[in-house]
Amino acid sequence: MKKIWSIGLNTFKESFRKKMMYILLVFALIVIGASKFFGFLTAEEELKMIKDVSFSTIEFFGALMAIFGSLYAISTEIERKTIYTLLTKPISRSDFVLGKFFGMAMILLVNFILISLFFIGLLIFKHSPPDIDVLKTLVLIFVELIMISSITLSLGTFSSDAFNVICSFFLYIVGHLTSYGRELVERTENVILKGLGDMLYTILPNYENFNIRDKVVVGVSVNWAYVGNTVLYGVLYIAIALFIALYFFERREI
Amino acid sequence: MRRKAWPYLLIGILLFLPLGIVQIRVDYERKVQDLESNLVLMPGQMAGSLVLGGFKGLAADLLWLNMEEYWHTGQHYKMLPLLETVSWLQPNYILVWSIGGWHMAYNIYAEVKDPNEKQFWYDQGIKFLKKGISYNPDKYDLYFELGWTYYNKGKDYPNAVAMLEKAIKFPHPEYVNDVLAHAYEKNGQIDKAIKEWEYIRDNFVTFVPVAERMLFNLKTKGTTIPKENKD
Repeated sequence: MKKIWSIGLNTFKESFRKKMMYILLVFALIVIGASKFFGFLTAEEELKMIKDVSFSTIEFFGALMAIFGSLYAISTEIERKTIYTLLTKPISRSDFVLGKFFGMAMILLVNFILISLFFIGLLIFKHSPPDIDVLKTLVLIFVELIMISSITLSLGTFSSDAFNVICSFFLYIVGHLTSYGRELVERTENVILKGLGDMLYTILPNYENFNIRDKVVVGVSVNWAYVGNTVLYGVLYIAIALFIALYFFERREI
Repeated sequence: MRRKAWPYLLIGILLFLPLGIVQIRVDYERKVQDLESNLVLMPGQMAGSLVLGGFKGLAADLLWLNMEEYWHTGQHYKMLPLLETVSWLQPNYILVWSIGGWHMAYNIYAEVKDPNEKQFWYDQGIKFLKKGISYNPDKYDLYFELGWTYYNKGKDYPNAVAMLEKAIKFPHPEYVNDVLAHAYEKNGQIDKAIKEWEYIRDNFVTFVPVAERMLFNLKTKGTTIPKENKD
């Protein structure tokens, strides 16, 4: 555990040297800040727009950070050949992968907290402190970001950077559409197609599970059972992605 | 240190089993809590929902901003398709339904000259509000909006009473009871109007002077409406 923590901490510290993370963070803050300029609308409309823009920005820029941060987490170590030094020490490959994952999770957490605090500050400034549903939405977005990060990290253990980035973005988009796809498949009477659809529905990440913001911004409340089940879904998917990452990384010739 | 890799893959694959079970629970919760958007069920609009994916709210906001521009430049007709689209994207956004209904039954109604056209837009407004209620049947807002439109614009008091009675079944502000009391009176249900004003007097402090005046007028003159204002 100590080894994992050391690698994680090192990954976290290393991220401070990456300009891209700062740029994404600044862009996210600018977009959220810009949502304040809907002052010409009624108070109710303005508040809804601030929430809509902020949730979407937190998710979108968070996804960019998760994908690009995790993309280079392993490949850079291999390219720079620093991994050889690391693996000659009593560090297993699984320690290395898990350390990288926890490092990325820490980076995402810090960025997420910064952006979320800015958003919450904006709501307080507008005399509408965040209610529990806003916090539930933020929790689910964060779990989604960690899930995206774990998938990109997993892809990075066996593929090139170019393939990884395309695949991660593809899964990000598809992951928001799986429920629609399933509804289409449910209409077909072809048993094979139905079975295939169900299998894909389970295997592909379902990011739409984490999307409650469209309802929360219009005042619909979501219960804790849903949040709990969705977090459990996220944790299981992260575990699957990490086990697959461990499998491929153990087999990889370095 | 290299370990055997296949147990990781095995565990990873086995974890899809609990994942599938959790997904079934999540799907169930989404249906129970009405978190499904049902967009795919609307023919011809599926492509839009696919493209928008996770950012429906943002798309709705952008359309709303366009609509604001049309509103302020008096281009009411151009607002209609946008209203339909925003309500399709976020059917639980009450404001879209109430503003849409208001635009049709009041603003466009006022703009057209032909009485048949006026009736058409009034009916469209009513229809739009009813559609909104079908998506939001557990909130007072649209029952009130519809009740008010029947009462104020259509002078259709029986329907106004029916809708306002539904509105007060859900948590609501005081003025809903106020309008209901007036609607009872206009609908000839004086006894019910008196009861409603008594309820208002006993429960809403800010309305006490108004309620007492209304009760006095109803009990002594049988109406709260001054002679010169009667239709």
